[in-house]
Amino acid sequence: MGKIMILNASPRAPKSNSKQYAKIFSDNCKTHTDYFNITRTNHDELCSKMSDYTDVLLVFPLYADSIPVTLLNFLKSLENSQPENKPVISVLINCGFIEHYQNNIAVKTVELFCRQNGYKFGSVLKIGSGEAILTTPFKVFAVRKIKKLAASIANSKYTSLSVTMPISKKMFISASTSYWIKYGEKNSVTKEMMQTMQIEDGK
Amino acid sequence: MKLILSDTNLSLPEFISQESDIKYIDLSKLKITNCVGCFGCWTKTPGKCVIRDDAVKVYPYIAKSDSVIYVSNIKYGTYDTVMKTMLERAIPVQQAFIRLLDGETHHVQRDVALKKAVIIAYGDMSDDEKKLFSSLVERNAKNMNFESFEIIFTKASDLNDIVNSEVAKWEK
Repeated sequence: MGKIMILNASPRAPKSNSKQYAKIFSDNCKTHTDYFNITRTNHDELCSKMSDYTDVLLVFPLYADSIPVTLLNFLKSLENSQPENKPVISVLINCGFIEHYQNNIAVKTVELFCRQNGYKFGSVLKIGSGEAILTTPFKVFAVRKIKKLAASIANSKYTSLSVTMPISKKMFISASTSYWIKYGEKNSVTKEMMQTMQIEDGK
Repeated sequence: MKLILSDTNLSLPEFISQESDIKYIDLSKLKITNCVGCFGCWTKTPGKCVIRDDAVKVYPYIAKSDSVIYVSNIKYGTYDTVMKTMLERAIPVQQAFIRLLDGETHHVQRDVALKKAVIIAYGDMSDDEKKLFSSLVERNAKNMNFESFEIIFTKASDLNDIVNSEVAKWEK
């Protein structure tokens, strides 16, 4: 029976969307899962535990078109502390854009790491509109795909999946604008303030 | 304004330090912590990062430069830690709001100059890594306001000569 190690590589792991995606995965996975946040100081601990697992699921957001530096640094540590038994590495990535394919470069980066370091690459789920999809009625689509991801890893039938909000780009922009305006309002920051063109003090 | 942003110390021509139009930043000498994904620069203090370390002195130069040379070691086909950390910390130059660009959704830019970018990627790289890095820069172009870009792959031992040769082109 397999065992899956879920690693949250979001820079804001304790409060991240990635944490929510990881929870949905655990709740819907028939195989035993253990969840860990990647922090700056626990790389060695996570690398040494990895041998106990058949699979690792990396959960993270897209950052500057690629993997977040939190994950980059962890992969560099893993390269230097390879586990005796190498698990299969799968990916659950989300980006704030509607096009799930904007995650492709980050996925290829993990695939390249796997090739260079002798890990088998497993399944991938690319989520578009991932910042907000869980707060919309379209959450069901994301949950459905996460269930498929969980089944694919549990059954070692690795696959590539994707999901995004099933709306037009125009509607997406309108919805995301409303989302961010509400986000700003929580901090008493208006839409106009958020739209400032000034960077720092404009010097 | 022209910017040389490097993850390593470079020996550059004397005129660089006297030329007010050219800014050279050696990221390896700065203290820049990781972006924590708090969205503060979009929704609390728009245009300003809430982490007040050296990154806040760098991204205004990224924004205002119309010619940039980025110099970075490459790891797994992406920018290595020093440059990647800075690029992630540069998101205050964008707004939270989304626009359509070339038919794709991307963030609205604040006052960010359109750039001619030269990316000098150094280190030992396989062809796979070079290919992946080229795809990354192509995507970056949309989110970092590059009107054109060129990628130069080189060994670390040739880095300084390559950078100087690119800087010399600015003087022509």
